[in-house]
Amino acid sequence: MKVTAPVVLLVMCLVALAAGCGGSGGGSSGGSGGSAGTPQHGGNITIGWSAEPQSMDKENVFDNQSIWVLEQIMEPLYTVSPDGKSVKPWLAKSVTLSPSKTTYTFHLRPGVEFSNGKKMTSADVKFSIEQTKATGSQGWGYLDSAIKDIKTPDPETVVIDTKYKWAPFMADIALFANGIVPNHYGGETAKEFYTHPVGTGPFMWGHWTHGQELVLKRNPHYWQKGKPYLDQITFLTVTDTNTRQLQLQGGQEQIDQFPDWQTVNTLKSTPGITMSLFNSTRTDYTMMNERYAPLADVHVRRAISYAIDRNAIIKSVLFGHGQPANSFMPPQVPFYDPKSPGLQYNLAQAKAEMAKSKFPNGFPVQMLVGAGVADEKSIAQIYQQELAKIGIKVTLKPVDPSVEFSDEQEFKYQLGLSYWTMDIADPDELVTFAVVPSAGAKSFYTDYNNPDVVNWTHTAEKTFSASGRQDLYSKIQAQAAQDAFMVFMYYSPYRYAYTNKLHGFFVYPTGNFHMEDVWLSH
Amino acid sequence: MAIAVAEGAVDEVAEHRGGFRRRWYRTPAFVAGVLILGTVVAMCVAAPVLTSQSPTHQDLNHILASPSAKHPLGTDQLGRDVFSRILYGGRVDLRVAFLAVLLPFIIGTTLGCVSGYYGRFYDTTIMRLVDVVVAIPVYVLIIAMVFVLGPGARSIYIAITFVGWVSYARIIRGEILVAKRQEYILAARAAGFRDGRIITRHLLPNVVTQAIVYAMSDIVLDILFIVTLGYFGLGIQPPVPDWGGMIADGQAFLTTNWELSTIPGVVVVITALGLSLIGDGLADLLRPE
Amino acid sequence: MDRFAYILRRLVQAIPVLFGVTLIVFFMIHLVPGDPARTMLGVHATPKRVAALHREWGLDRSVPEQYWIYLKRVLHGNLGTSLFYRVSTASLITGRLPVTLWLIAYGTLLSIVIALPLATLAATRKDRPADQAVRAVPLVGLGFPPFWLGIMLLLAFGLHLGRLFPVGGYGNGFVGHLHSMFLPALTVALGISPLLIRSLRASLLQVLESDYVTTARSKGLSERRVLARHALRNAVVSTVAVLGVNIAFLIGATVVIEQVFALPGIGQLMLNSIFQRDFPVVQGVTLVFGIMVVLVYLATDVLHSLLDPRVRFD
Repeated sequence: MKVTAPVVLLVMCLVALAAGCGGSGGGSSGGSGGSAGTPQHGGNITIGWSAEPQSMDKENVFDNQSIWVLEQIMEPLYTVSPDGKSVKPWLAKSVTLSPSKTTYTFHLRPGVEFSNGKKMTSADVKFSIEQTKATGSQGWGYLDSAIKDIKTPDPETVVIDTKYKWAPFMADIALFANGIVPNHYGGETAKEFYTHPVGTGPFMWGHWTHGQELVLKRNPHYWQKGKPYLDQITFLTVTDTNTRQLQLQGGQEQIDQFPDWQTVNTLKSTPGITMSLFNSTRTDYTMMNERYAPLADVHVRRAISYAIDRNAIIKSVLFGHGQPANSFMPPQVPFYDPKSPGLQYNLAQAKAEMAKSKFPNGFPVQMLVGAGVADEKSIAQIYQQELAKIGIKVTLKPVDPSVEFSDEQEFKYQLGLSYWTMDIADPDELVTFAVVPSAGAKSFYTDYNNPDVVNWTHTAEKTFSASGRQDLYSKIQAQAAQDAFMVFMYYSPYRYAYTNKLHGFFVYPTGNFHMEDVWLSH
Repeated sequence: MAIAVAEGAVDEVAEHRGGFRRRWYRTPAFVAGVLILGTVVAMCVAAPVLTSQSPTHQDLNHILASPSAKHPLGTDQLGRDVFSRILYGGRVDLRVAFLAVLLPFIIGTTLGCVSGYYGRFYDTTIMRLVDVVVAIPVYVLIIAMVFVLGPGARSIYIAITFVGWVSYARIIRGEILVAKRQEYILAARAAGFRDGRIITRHLLPNVVTQAIVYAMSDIVLDILFIVTLGYFGLGIQPPVPDWGGMIADGQAFLTTNWELSTIPGVVVVITALGLSLIGDGLADLLRPE
Repeated sequence: MDRFAYILRRLVQAIPVLFGVTLIVFFMIHLVPGDPARTMLGVHATPKRVAALHREWGLDRSVPEQYWIYLKRVLHGNLGTSLFYRVSTASLITGRLPVTLWLIAYGTLLSIVIALPLATLAATRKDRPADQAVRAVPLVGLGFPPFWLGIMLLLAFGLHLGRLFPVGGYGNGFVGHLHSMFLPALTVALGISPLLIRSLRASLLQVLESDYVTTARSKGLSERRVLARHALRNAVVSTVAVLGVNIAFLIGATVVIEQVFALPGIGQLMLNSIFQRDFPVVQGVTLVFGIMVVLVYLATDVLHSLLDPRVRFD
């Protein structure tokens, strides 16, 4: 036991250190993944991501992983524009709005076929949208609740009447849930159909081995001639971020979704890898439950908002890849107000607000943290330190993710972390969710209730003039900022690392991507 | 069964108390182990003297800093001093790991004695209980604990006790099954000595050595269990520092700042080494001549 | 005969054990807060949607009633449908079980390959430098957290020292599995071999120092043969014992290793299902897990008694 044991120990440590030492990449900058030359056909790619999709039932599914897959198979009449602010024609080539503003006439693009070769007609469109609407408030149907009826005067025309003037209508139609499927699900039940959905999208169903991989194959009947370029896409679930990154570097994956923030800079300088940060609509907040007395006091909420140094969080948690939020709406949404006066870090002001509040000496508060979620853990600890400076003692309550959601939705929390990404190119969905207490989410689970803000929200839904709507939404944002109903923390980009042989990959502000534009150079 | 036999248990069961004091300083493994563990414990206890940095103070402007005079081992992802977190974290982990071993040891040894000595009904029941406990997935258990009692040390103690007594019971039972057939035990029974006395005076002192040896590696296992719980976010909760949490936090930085996980990992390994040496040394010492 | 009776008795006794385990787990996971409906719906959960899912999944009934329904189903061989994946629990489990079994078997094999030669070396050169070195291995090896070891191996052999192995994943075909699973199996092996080395060495020493070796030597039999025959038998006994006792721990360790190496095994399924409160899957995996553990323990005990004449049944 004398000398040899410690020597062995030393050797083993050195081996381990050597393995780790080679870690950080260096060398010349990675190639650009942008549009470089003419697209080449062919190739299979693998996308590594962090969670398993739940189901392909576009009418009822809510998790992003499922949505981003099924969007490659089923497409809507219109789709979100690359800047996220409007919609552009897709399966429909144009639309006319009646002077009464309650009738929309869509002219379908001719020659569109499903992946089984059958032509798409207005009957398919009518069926698809009605099915989604029928899910009501259980599925995505609530976004179609303004629809009165759908008529199909001829196979290439669809006429939709709304019950009342509804400004967000075009954005709602562009929602993935309103994607077009064959009439009567091609003879199957909805359940059967969604185990192997058929659509007009660039890719068609391959197979899904749960927990392992989901494979989509090229749709030879795709209406955009020449596309898609890729033959096959495999979606692989790899939960460990280190493993995902190593798989990318090792060539087993071509796209790594959401690498950790601290690896972004390393990946940028890794040869052969393109590290892209796409503009997103993701906004991170801290919710404050107004049912807990101190948080019902507007001065307390303003103090908390002032006390958080957003830049410090962005620097240490996001490693600089983000910007402080000044509104609960993100910049990529129409009618976002860059001048919205969201409170920013100002310790003196924070203390002043506390002095004005009913709790000038501070109070204890509990913060919910998702177990194992690294970012949340760091942010919560930063909050502990920063709020201590204004006399607020934060204790962390770590719960597993399932409980985190439940507790927030049942108002069994005091401070909680949350975020939003837009599903449509219209602020209405988010605004209703966030500030209307009678809507399902009870003002983002805070019970925030400002009657003026609620009125403006409802008015904006019926206002068609762009300047009119902008005016209203600016007022809403300004008031929400004054009331500090949540701490608006930061906006952060979507981060994807991929091989520099991949081109045309672009992530829309709504988080989705059009795989028909992607090609591999050989 | 005779697992303990395969583990290198004693064939001859002779009483040898007193040998301990005579020989300990001549057993190199034991001495080395005590020295290593002693150093680790001493450093953790002397933490306030060895460092002036707070283990929880965040300096968000100097995250992931390299070693310097102020921070001998650098800072972590929230700008906290790694060296002081190692020392203060050690206090928590060592305390939890040592304490967590006690109850399973006591309960397991007791049940193992009963099961091995009396056999029949007691044996069947206890062994079936062992089967049930072993078959319950530990993670379901710990999540339930976290809900009922909140996360942190208390849930860890209870979960470890619930699951940990099993190994001791099996080891002791195995030893006793063999030991109770020894001649002098049979003689004692024939002479009418009470069961209780036979167990506590004659059987236990000889068989308990295996349990003590196992306890050393059990402490190591407990430390690893706490670390793995940290990986899932269910271990010791921040802001209390602990080695497991440090390894878990550092795991996200394995490809950029691997030292964040490696340094506490090495400390765990060294501590484990000390404990294992003590265990080995004890096994040597308590083996009969 | 008496052995068969014992086995039969143990198997019969296993039934209430499994019943007990599923009962405990069922109530634990249902009474712990956390709602699978809300987890699935995330930010989009509304009371109406949540209630609809509860109705669909039968979660609107009382917990004892749910257990009764569950029991009836199990007795008909039906493990229910996963709330999240919407496919049968049984298909999920049978899809993933092979991966975990591969990992455990491969890992066990590798650990024997590592431990046996080292233990033999140590035992035959007791107290000399080689022995000291080998004895150090368990001491150091036991302290490494498996997930850390796994990532280090990935970094080293999957990437930096020449991309010898794929980074995670299960691979295709038998050879593909051997290749892809090598690193995770190695991680498992490095985790158990310390225990194995220790106990193998101890039992080998016992044999070497025991009576029949001396007798055999005196009869002129070569040391090799002596070693081979008796030592090997004792080695098998030890290995079986150590592995058997640690099987539950082993299965638990695979959870972490599956996570690190992106292996679609049963450990990962269990963990994700617990976090998502996918009740049918948690129950199903618990049952399978319980059966595996009970059978392995029984097999270990029986095998042990077959090989070691000193052990007797009560």
